[in-house]
Amino acid sequence: MSSRRMLALALRIVLGCVWLYAAYAKFRESWLVFAMSIDAYRMLPEWAVLAVARSLPWMELAIGILLVAGLALRYVSIAGASILAVFFSVMVLAQARGLGIDCGCFGLGDKLSGWTLLRDGTLLAAAIALVYLSWKPAAKSAS
Amino acid sequence: MNTDQHGLKNKSLIIPVALAFLSLITAASGLAAGSSKAIGSPTAPIVIELFSDFQCPHCKDLHDEALPSLIADFVNTGKVYLVRRYFLLPRPYSRVSATYVCAAERIGKYDQVSNVLFLTQRSWAETGKVDETVSSVLSGADMQKVRALVKDPSITAEIDKDSALGASQSVNQTPTMIIVHKGQRTPIAGVISYSLLKMYLDKVLAQ
Repeated sequence: MSSRRMLALALRIVLGCVWLYAAYAKFRESWLVFAMSIDAYRMLPEWAVLAVARSLPWMELAIGILLVAGLALRYVSIAGASILAVFFSVMVLAQARGLGIDCGCFGLGDKLSGWTLLRDGTLLAAAIALVYLSWKPAAKSAS
Repeated sequence: MNTDQHGLKNKSLIIPVALAFLSLITAASGLAAGSSKAIGSPTAPIVIELFSDFQCPHCKDLHDEALPSLIADFVNTGKVYLVRRYFLLPRPYSRVSATYVCAAERIGKYDQVSNVLFLTQRSWAETGKVDETVSSVLSGADMQKVRALVKDPSITAEIDKDSALGASQSVNQTPTMIIVHKGQRTPIAGVISYSLLKMYLDKVLAQ
């Protein structure tokens, strides 16, 4: 196995586990608790807050399972990186606005801070690297 | 953001206008004249501990937007016992404002003083005129008592005790509500809409 494939395998397993843990942390609490975490960002209308709170944990679960299983990796890696990019942008905005809130990423008590931005920024970088690694071989074979 | 950006060029207008709103809020929330930081029935099925800092703008938002409805719908109906706790942030007038509120509580004027401080927060947070702001809602005799009480070491001790209690419960930001039901503690940080909070409390009560 090439080092590139080893790296891709490691990234999808690690990121898959992170997605699964994020989903688990949300399913552990009432979905309304997660809705309040989203609402605290003060960026979405209530109907959107409720929709995201209902659907996001299932999306995280699906992405986690698909990444760990290595199914539809190209598309799932893009979906994961896109969602992480949205998360990261929203967190940066909230931090810039000085909101004293929980990140909402991995359940309760996870304060939005420089540390959470560093953590999620690292996850986003890893997710982008996985997108690159999962698409690069196809580009080679096509040429 | 200063008051001039809100079109209030004459700052002397702020206090009277604020007091008019204050009386409306107090009436809407059903707060009694004699008041303390803990309100409602101590035997209510849900206890909410609300950790706030009077100089924190987001605490003001929660106080203005969600608290009156929470008190009217859940506290006054015996469903929630609300305990408002002091949690000091590193801001210039956090301690002095908490000290005045704590002193006012000792004479049964918690709500009057906490309401006016939140309502006029933008003003005194710039000028530091906490004493003047508090004196605008208290009689001369009450203000004298409060001024004497702010020097009482037990006031400082109570504020520090609340802050330490928050820290022991992993509170590290304000506002933070800790919702306690059947022994389960759920911390909610930040400003949340009342309708979501109501949905959650109704769901918890139905369990």
